[in-house]
Order: sequence, then structure tokens, then C-alpha cells
Amino acid sequence: MLGILKALRTTVSHLPRKPLTVQYPEVREELPERSRGLFKVVVDVTTEEARCRACTLCETNCPVQVIRVDYRNKYDLPAVDQAALARDRLAEQGAVDLSPLRPIIDGHLESGTGLNAVLQRVQDAYGYLPRAALQQLSLETGTSLSQIYGTASFSDRFRLAPPAAHIISVCRGTTCYAAGAPLVAQALREALGIDADGTTADGFVTLQSVDCLGVCGPAPVVRVDDRVHVAMTPERAHALVQELRVAEGVT
Amino acid sequence: MSERADRIEAAFAHVFHPSMVSAREGEQEVRVCAATTCAGSGAGAVRDAFRDELTRRGLQQEWRVVETGCRGSCDQGPIVSVEPAGVFYPRVSPASVPRIVAETLVGGRPVEDLLYRHPDTGRPVARAADVPFLLGQRRLVLALAGRIDPASIDDAIAHERYRAFVEALIADEPDDVIDAVEESGLRTRVGDPGSVGSRWRRALDGTHDERFVVCTADEGDPGAFADRTVLESDPHAVIEGMLLAAFAIGARHGVVRVRRDHAAAGERLRGALVECRERGLLGRDILGAGLSFDIEIDAAERMLVCADETALIASLEGRRAVPRIRPPAPTEAGFRGRPTVVSDAVAYAAVPWIVRNGAAAYAAAGLHEHTGTRVFSLSGQVRNGGVVEVPAGTSLRRVVEDIGGGARPGRRLKAVQIGGPLGVCLPATALEAPIDDLAAGSSSLVVLDDRTCMVDLARHLLSISQREGCGTCVPCRLGTKRSLEILERIVDGRGRDGDMELLAELGTYCSQGTLCVLGGNASNPVLGTLRDFADEYEAHITERRCPAGVCRALITYSIDPEACTGCTLCAQRCPAAVISGREGQPHVIDVSGCTKCDICRQVCPDGAVRVRSGVSQAVAPGTA
Ligand code: SF4
Ligand code: SF4
Ligand code: SF4
Ligand code: SF4
Ligand code: FES
Ligand code: FES
Repeated sequence: MLGILKALRTTVSHLPRKPLTVQYPEVREELPERSRGLFKVVVDVTTEEARCRACTLCETNCPVQVIRVDYRNKYDLPAVDQAALARDRLAEQGAVDLSPLRPIIDGHLESGTGLNAVLQRVQDAYGYLPRAALQQLSLETGTSLSQIYGTASFSDRFRLAPPAAHIISVCRGTTCYAAGAPLVAQALREALGIDADGTTADGFVTLQSVDCLGVCGPAPVVRVDDRVHVAMTPERAHALVQELRVAEGVT
Repeated sequence: MSERADRIEAAFAHVFHPSMVSAREGEQEVRVCAATTCAGSGAGAVRDAFRDELTRRGLQQEWRVVETGCRGSCDQGPIVSVEPAGVFYPRVSPASVPRIVAETLVGGRPVEDLLYRHPDTGRPVARAADVPFLLGQRRLVLALAGRIDPASIDDAIAHERYRAFVEALIADEPDDVIDAVEESGLRTRVGDPGSVGSRWRRALDGTHDERFVVCTADEGDPGAFADRTVLESDPHAVIEGMLLAAFAIGARHGVVRVRRDHAAAGERLRGALVECRERGLLGRDILGAGLSFDIEIDAAERMLVCADETALIASLEGRRAVPRIRPPAPTEAGFRGRPTVVSDAVAYAAVPWIVRNGAAAYAAAGLHEHTGTRVFSLSGQVRNGGVVEVPAGTSLRRVVEDIGGGARPGRRLKAVQIGGPLGVCLPATALEAPIDDLAAGSSSLVVLDDRTCMVDLARHLLSISQREGCGTCVPCRLGTKRSLEILERIVDGRGRDGDMELLAELGTYCSQGTLCVLGGNASNPVLGTLRDFADEYEAHITERRCPAGVCRALITYSIDPEACTGCTLCAQRCPAAVISGREGQPHVIDVSGCTKCDICRQVCPDGAVRVRSGVSQAVAPGTA
């Protein structure tokens, strides 16, 4: 009841005022050429809270990248020093040599190939997508960092942290599944001493699941670094890890 | 002939370098399949062995060794055939090469013990054409796969590639091409599967004069490799199909999305594009006919959500692969906001055949009221997996049993999973269903036998869709997550009464009110198995057992004392060291420590290890 009254009061108080909005798209405001206007976040008069829910969609989609959504007020978060944050994030991954990026960016600017392909090449060059490389990519290509990061984080095929010295990929596709891949994956986890996909404590192996390596015939399929092993069994999985350890002198 | 025709023919004659043709019809050659699966099973060594042996005997002039694309019977690789006699050898090893050269190439007779054996009669089959795997097929799209050297444009042209395109250019009636494709009933697997021709026509309606031709060989769902096979075995068919599309709708740019793991397919296509550009089949003013068109490759990791056209386009444009609301359809505003036609590689590869042989001939290739052919990648627990092309309307049983040879020895066919995580699971009793619109969205056809638990399979398939969904729509994002959690607890032995109803309800909601095919179809496998395999769900939930012996929380390993000979093998291999027994005496498993890794069952030479459905009282459900 109280709410309704409050709302009514608001409505009434607005009645004598001149409308602020126009019936877009029928009516359009005359704007000076190249007007950039001013952004203003609409405030909900009933709650006195900003209507923006800090979804950052506008930040992502603004063609000239002039929006910065700072959501600490909305959710009452402690003030964040953005610059420091960016520095820290970069520092997290240590220094990154940006020279391998040169041919990739040049090739991209020349052919305009898709971002996926570029990120793929960056991952091939570094083994993962270093933050510094993504920033550089954004600077040079003019593609916003949020778009690059969004594409990179969309698929778990892109790694955002450096992998271990060896990568074991277990196929979790349906053909391999039907041929016993879950048992093989379990055996690999047991042999590596980890509970789920990830890197072993000693940073020796990264275990990852992949969806179909496209050689479904002789399933189950496991790829160790670049070698594909077919018709795997739990037993061979144990042996494989053992061989890797022996080859590396890790016990 | 008109002056235009003369000019185009003359330009085309210039493209072709007959001297470079590595294989002519009727010539003596050894064809070694060098496509992905065969390469993985050692085709490279076999090819070298043939070359060495021929050189050693001084026969390298008379016999050519040709590396071809996929012949379709990939599980039997490496595949070799000796032409023109057509003698077919599966599973060739370098060691058997000298015998093949001595007896078949020189002696002109097959090496009997190396021939393919008929799975039913056990008798050797000499000619490729008589191998049951190929017998039931109708290869139109894959006609040249396995017959030509995919790395040579001249080989392709010698087999009439680009003929359809040249004739279309001469006729200069783009509408006729669209008509033919429309009338043929050719369908694409991308997006809302539908007629290729009508999409082309719709793309023409737009006001923009810039249009795009997009081809995807992404095959985001596991078990699908038909597009890869076409690209790898006959890349020029896809290029010609795209050229015809460009001619029909007046496009200047084409993009092909290939999967990054399919490196061989990408390389083949890249090579083919380079050759086309060099010979003037791509680029500006192709064959002097005024059409300019070029194709670019976009390699990315597979993404299931790219089964939706708008997601694919977003990803090609370098954004997150998130589908968008239609309208406008991609034919109105697609790639870079311009009208775009999107199809899979198999569909493009069919276009040249249709344009050359006529829409009616293609339509007539199907059985009964079905039109055309369907290309499938057959894999799983089947004897002969590979890539098959059959008339639309062929029954699944024919594909699985006659072509695929049925379940592996000693196993029983249980179900067939078609169309990947967004497709359906059909029980063995429903295999009379004709292949047509079943699983229209994907080429994967995975055969499952009695060692598959249908509940766990549903969990497996749903987990893929759940992982791959883009997260835009609430029913898809939350619905698949919750359904998956329910399935996970069922297979973990913590199923509750009412779970089946809950799953059905969630699944139904989930398939309504979503933006794209992923959310719309993600629940198909769950709903299908709930309907067809309700007893398995019940066994899991109420009896706490897994009838197929798969779900680890609901099975027990034991050794049959009658069958065990006491060879100690299992005890040596058990990683948990829970098998005991003296040599020569029956062994016993201490189930409390068993991790159910299945190694003992796999190593036991006497088949004495049993998997019992259900857990013994000693082990509480969910703890093992
Ligand atoms: S952050 Fe989201 S809710 Fe806020 S103004 Fe931008 S688009 Fe609107
Ligand atoms: S149905 Fe799922 S995958 Fe498709 S748009 Fe919605 S959330 Fe994304
Ligand atoms: S299933 Fe594995 S852990 Fe259990 S008894 Fe057999 S070998 Fe040992
Ligand atoms: S491997 Fe088989 S036969 Fe040998 S001890 Fe174990 S159960 Fe008995
Ligand atoms: S399902 Fe494992 S390789 Fe395809
Ligand atoms: S890969 Fe050789 S037959 Fe398919």
C-alpha cells in the first residue's frame, strides 16, 4: 500500500513537468554534428538507485570505447585502483617477450583474418594467452581488450595461464566415451595424483579433456603433447605417465 | 558457340595442365589412402614401402603411387587399392608390400590372405566394389574421395571438377543455378537445417550488393568428421560449390571455418586455394567472365554453439560465439551485416554434382519420398567405421548392420546415437527409421553396444551441451546445469524418487524458449533415453544398480572362482593392490579398496573377472 502511494506521489509530481524524453524513433532530437552527448545513468526515482546493473554490455559494445563501468558504488565495493589492478594483473604472469607477437599482428592487420585465428596463433606461440600479449594486440589492432578477452575466455580451448611442461589431452567425445574413455581419464588422474583436470602439484603435467580429436575410429584417444595414442586402456594410461616421468627424470 | 563461351573455354583450357595429372583413368596405379585416420594407422610408411619396392624392381615408370583422400572405410586402414583392377587391401603393413607388388602388380592376381574378409562368410573379397562396406553406398558427394590425389588441381580437373562452374559461367543464368539447387532438395546441416537453394534465393532479395558465402567444416559435435573428410579428400568440390554459390548470389567473398585440430584438412584446402588463385579460378575476373571471388580460411577450435549460424558468424567476425535473435536472418544480415549464405562443406560439395547432373537426378538418388544422399561419419562400437554416403531414406539398420557390419564380435547392439549431443539416441529396436531428417544437424552416427549405460550416456551428452552453451538464455544456462546435476547424482547412486519426472519437466522447459538450436535440442538425449530406457533409470534410482556395469558407484567387481585359473596377472596389475590369491588358486578381490578401474577385467586371459550390477552391502552407495 505504502509503495503504491509512494509511486503515485512520484507520478503526480511529474505531471506538470515537461517531458524529458522524445518519442524516438518517430521524433528525433536535433543534435549538432559530431555531438557526443553526455552519458547519464538513469536513476530509479523510487529506490534512488541507478538503473544500471553494471552488466558492462555498454562498455563492451561502445564502438569508440569511451565507456568505463566502475561498479564499486553499485555494490558498495571498496574503491579499486584500476591502474594498480592492471599492473598487478600483468605482474602476475611475469615479463612476457612480445616479439613473437610481431608477425602475428602484422599478418592480422594485412589479411584481417578472424580474431579466433589470431588468438590461436598467439596461443601456439606462447602456449597460452599472456595478458600482456592481449593488451598489446588490443593496442595495435584497435580491437577493444574486452572483446579480445571475451573471445578468449569464451572457450576453454584457450588457456589464460601457462601450462605445464607436458600436456595430456584425453578425448571426452562420444565415440571415445563409448569405448571406455572415462576409465582411461580416471586412470590418468590416479597416475598423476590429481582429482580433476589441471596441473600436477609439481607443475609437471597438465591434464585436460578435449572434445573429439577427430580420429574417432580407434577410440579411446589420448594425446600427449603432439603424439596421438589410440585404442587406450587404463593400463596403458598408467604406463604412459610412467614413461613420461622416466623420460623427464621425475619420480 | 557464342563469343563468351569461347572466351571462357579458352581461359579454362589454360587453367588445366594435363601433363601434371598424376593418375589417369585406366592407368596402372597404387592408391594409398593418406587421409587422417589412415595416416594415423601408418599409411605414410606403407606409401614409402611401395615407392621403395617399385624402385628396387625398376617399376617406378609403369606404376605410380598416388596418395588419395579417404576411401571411407577408415577403421580398416591403411587402405590400399591396385588399379585399374580395383584390388582392395585393408590394414596394409609395410611388411606385406613386397608380396603385393610381386603378386598383384607383377603377377596380376590378388594376395589372398591379405584381402578383406567378408564379415559373415569369412571369404576373401578382392574388389573394392564388392566390399560390403562400400556396396550399400551411393557416393555422389564423395565420388572422387579416395580416387584422386587431393593435392593436385589437375587431377581434380581431369575428373571434371570445375566443369559445372564453367558451364554455369557460359550459360550466365545465375537463377538457373539457384533453381537447380532448390529443386534438388539439397539441405544443409547448419542452423535450422533447411533447403540450401531457398537460402540462396533469400540472400538475393536483400538491398545490399555485397554478399558473403560462408562454409563451415567446424563439426562442433564429437564423432562427426564428414566435412573434414570432404575437405581432405576432394577440396576442389567444396571450392567449386562455393564458386557456384558466389556466381548464383553475386558474392565476392567467401569464408571457410575449419577446425584447428583438423590440420590436414586445413592444409589441403589452403593448398587448393593457392592453386586456384595461381590458375585464375579464384580472384579477380575469373576466367574472364566478370566474376570476382576469393575464399579465406578461418581456423578455430571447435565450438558446439557454432551449430547456430548467427553464433558462427559472430565467431567469424572475431566476437564471442553468441547467437543472436532472428530476424534478421543471416540471409538478410549476416557476416559483417551483409546477406550471407551459410552451409556445411558437404552441402557445398554436392552443388557441382547437382548443377552438372540436374536437380532431378540428385533428388532421385534418395529412396521413396526422400531426396538426395546423406553423408555420415560412422563410428563407435561397430566393426567397420568410416565415412558413408547413402541414399536419403535408407534405414538406420542398413547403415549400421550392412555397411558397418554390426556390433563388434561378442557384443550386442544396444542403441545408435545420431547427431551428437543435440541429436537423439535410438534403441536397437527402432533402427528401421529412415535416415533423413533424423539428426539433420550433424553427421555423427555413433554405435553403442551392451557396455553402454544409457543413463550415463545421457549425462555425458548433456555435459557437453552444458559446457558449450553460451549462457544467454536462462532455460539453457540453468536448465542444462540442473538437469546435469540430477543425472550426476543418479549415476552416483544418489538418485531420488521423482528425479525422472523432474528431468522430463526440466528438459521440456529447456527446449522451449531458447534462442538457438543448442538450448533447443540439448535435452533431446535425456528425453529420448527417459522414454526408451526408463527401466535403466529405474534400476539406478530405486535398485541402486547399473545394469550395463558402467556407473562406478553402482557396480561391484568380483572374480568367478570357477573360471579363474590363478594366473596372478590381475593381482600384478591391480593399481590398488586389492587382489589376492596364490598362484594356481582362484583369486579374490577385496571390494572395499577397489577403485573400479577395470584393469583386472581387461587383462584377465580367462574372462574370470565379473562386473556385477549393484553394490554389495559392505560398500555404501556413493562412497566407492
Ligand atoms: S553497464 Fe549494462 S546496465 Fe549499465 S548502462 Fe551499461 S549496458 Fe546498461
Ligand atoms: S540456447 Fe543456450 S547456447 Fe543457444 S543462445 Fe541460448 S544460452 Fe546460448
Ligand atoms: S577394478 Fe581395478 S582396483 Fe578394482 S580390483 Fe580390478 S584392478 Fe583392482
Ligand atoms: S587374471 Fe583372471 S585368471 Fe588370472 S588370476 Fe586374475 S582372475 Fe584369475
Ligand atoms: S570422440 Fe574421441 S576422437 Fe572423436
Ligand atoms: S582415412 Fe583412409 S579410408 Fe578414411
